[in-house]
Amino acid sequence: MWFVARRLLHAVPLLFCVVVLNFVLIAATPGDPVTILVGDFPAPPGYVEQVKREFGLDQPIYVQLFRYLGHVLTGDLGYSFANRQPVSTLILGRLAATLELTLTALLLASILGIILGMLAARWRGSWLDSGVQGVASAGYSIPDFWLGQILILIFSIWLGWLPSQGNMSVRGAPEGFAGFLDHLRYLLLPALALSFRYLALIARITRAAMLEVLSADFILAARSRGATEISIMVGHALRNAAAPVITVIGYNLGFILAGSALIETVFGWPGIGRLLFDSISRRDYPVMMAILLMVSVTVVLANLATDILHRMIDPRVGDR
Amino acid sequence: MTQFDKLALGRRALGRWTLGAMAAGAALRPGLSYAEGGSGTVVAAIDNDPPTLNPGISTDYATGEIAAKVYESLVWLDVDATPQPSLATSWEATPDGKTYSFKLRQGVSWHDGKPFSAADVKFTFEEVLGKLHPRMAAVLKSLGAMIETPDDHSVVFRLERGYAPFLVQMTVFDAPILPKHLFEGTNIPAAPASQAPVGTGPFKFSEWNRGANIRLTRNENYWDKPKPYLAEVVFQIVPQGANRSAGLQTGELDVVSDFYMPKPDLPRLMRDPSLQNRQGVNIPAIWFAMFNTKSPVFAKKEVRQAVAMAVDRPRLVQQVMRGIARPGIGAFGDGFKWLVNEDVTYDKKYPLDPAKAKALLQQAGYDGSPVRMVFDAARPQLRSEAQIIRENLRAIGMDVQLEPLERSVMLDRVFTKREFDITLQSFFSAGDPAIGYTRLYVTTTSGTNNNASGYSNPKVDELLAEAATAPDRERRAPLYKELQVILNEDLPSLVLFDEETVNVATKRVTGLWTSIDARDRWAGVRIQGN
Repeated sequence: MWFVARRLLHAVPLLFCVVVLNFVLIAATPGDPVTILVGDFPAPPGYVEQVKREFGLDQPIYVQLFRYLGHVLTGDLGYSFANRQPVSTLILGRLAATLELTLTALLLASILGIILGMLAARWRGSWLDSGVQGVASAGYSIPDFWLGQILILIFSIWLGWLPSQGNMSVRGAPEGFAGFLDHLRYLLLPALALSFRYLALIARITRAAMLEVLSADFILAARSRGATEISIMVGHALRNAAAPVITVIGYNLGFILAGSALIETVFGWPGIGRLLFDSISRRDYPVMMAILLMVSVTVVLANLATDILHRMIDPRVGDR
Repeated sequence: MTQFDKLALGRRALGRWTLGAMAAGAALRPGLSYAEGGSGTVVAAIDNDPPTLNPGISTDYATGEIAAKVYESLVWLDVDATPQPSLATSWEATPDGKTYSFKLRQGVSWHDGKPFSAADVKFTFEEVLGKLHPRMAAVLKSLGAMIETPDDHSVVFRLERGYAPFLVQMTVFDAPILPKHLFEGTNIPAAPASQAPVGTGPFKFSEWNRGANIRLTRNENYWDKPKPYLAEVVFQIVPQGANRSAGLQTGELDVVSDFYMPKPDLPRLMRDPSLQNRQGVNIPAIWFAMFNTKSPVFAKKEVRQAVAMAVDRPRLVQQVMRGIARPGIGAFGDGFKWLVNEDVTYDKKYPLDPAKAKALLQQAGYDGSPVRMVFDAARPQLRSEAQIIRENLRAIGMDVQLEPLERSVMLDRVFTKREFDITLQSFFSAGDPAIGYTRLYVTTTSGTNNNASGYSNPKVDELLAEAATAPDRERRAPLYKELQVILNEDLPSLVLFDEETVNVATKRVTGLWTSIDARDRWAGVRIQGN
């Protein structure tokens, strides 16, 4: 319990620094939201000043920062310039779609990655191992947004099996179980594209960790006791190799959340990542700040959860 | 409640897939058929959530795309850009062009049932367009427009001076009529009706799923019965250009406006037998290179003229726009045929001649210092345009450094700080050279999207002002022709090409594109087989 409380306390100054640093960095970036808001024609005199006043952008930067911090502390994430909506409403409306996409991708990556890693370790040096290593290298080197476009080309345009964008049918969307299946069709390609990189990472880590464990004495002992191959692989080896794998999965939750921006843009998925992407191009500071803060909080919490899990699996961790 | 409404509600209530899983076993959807009456759903693409759904405060393209179906204006423009009756049934102007009287359509009501009247028109012009519209506020202010409402169905505009494009600017994009009863006394940009619009148009706002789509449904009480023919119009947000092309081919999308069309895909889509398109009918727009006449290199007009002789405009059209554009011929392009001065076109003054350009450059004393070419990095055509121009100018000994910048940074660099030597831009005329092109040459000290070249010529300013107020084309044309004599010689900007838009739709959709602006007049649109 003490451990959790201490970690949460540590997170407070960290998050504070994240907010201040993000604010300063964004303010220092050239370009401002007002020129984007005004549009493609010269604005009438006084119009720009009026818009700046409306959003408090006429104040010095430190005043804006203090005001922002005050609002964040009371749970008010501000007002989106570009969308003319409270930021919290905007984010809440998009959060579910992102969680759905990222968690599905992470789940896919974890399950497939662990299975592939185990198989590669068990049959080390075989064609299967080489195949897994090849997939892992590809996962590292292929940019996910490019993979997304290739998947669209193959499965949407050439084969016509899956939709190219969106998250549900807009023309007469089906209800009930058919609606669920309809939605899955939309989810499949973006989730695959987003998961590939992490699948590669998890497969490699699992393989390495399993190889180390498989050469340990207790595995030899288990074999000599006549334990089945499955019980050795899952019950003994994977259990002992799980710590680094869980660490990698946990630590990547933040990355996958932040990294969903491109995939959401490629597939027109209405999530937070695309909101971040759009808010950057529109210089919509409050939305950018809120999403970056949300990602930071997620990373802190995911790391904490990973550590707790780590301790549960391997009690030795806490004693160090 | 129609079958469609039920489905829409059902889908909303369904929510996420976890819920969907619980609903396992429910029946497959019944087939939808809209055989008679021509109902059905048309899915059109937009690229992003619009900043607002109030066209009275924004000229955003997507805002206009959606608002044109929900709101109406006094007039609309047919394919020849001639004003046609909409909320106004007739109008007349005094010969001096200072008074316009409109008779309003009777029996029109807002989507919430309240009657439409002259008070809405007066309120819209005085409180919304005159104060908040990015294009109209400046126009109405400079005209000193006074609006009178002699009765509920008449509106009279009294202007301090004539303004040639007045009627052309009375469209839903520049002068949408908004409901007074919903906006009066509110902070208009933040008012609920700016997010959930209530208009008099053929379609009613239904829902906005942010990041996903915006849905409109048929206005059963539309004044032009039996229109509208469609049951629904859905604007699907598709951020990637390539996916918008793909969507047309897979049938996920029915209509994509030129603005959202990735140019490299156009030749392929135009050959696709399942698709139809409209090419070259559009409100004129020009793409140009603006010189910073205050920069050491481009202060001399001979250097600018040398560039005009070196830049291969037909090649730009072929390679940048895939042949879908017309090479620039002068200061105002050739989109407004009535004002073109054939005697001083670029082809006559600056035929492609790198050798002569090189000589002119040396004559002007160009010292070989590099020039910075600034443009919006988010527009791929500008990048290829910049690369071709760099190659053209290298041939005459000018070293061009490309500076692609993010849009907001570019606006700051070019229009506020004026730190550039050449910038690549495009301006939309909005229906008249006085609305959209004057800003390119008139003396300007600050502000975005106007003359950042530093060029200032009192004679040009005077002619531009006169051309804007002269009441008819006969009197305006000689003024614009005289302007071309000066501007084609001085070249503060070099017009590279006139835009030709291509709007694409599946062949199942009929009744599209009756206006010069492809976004307008959808009451007569139908779709087959869905």
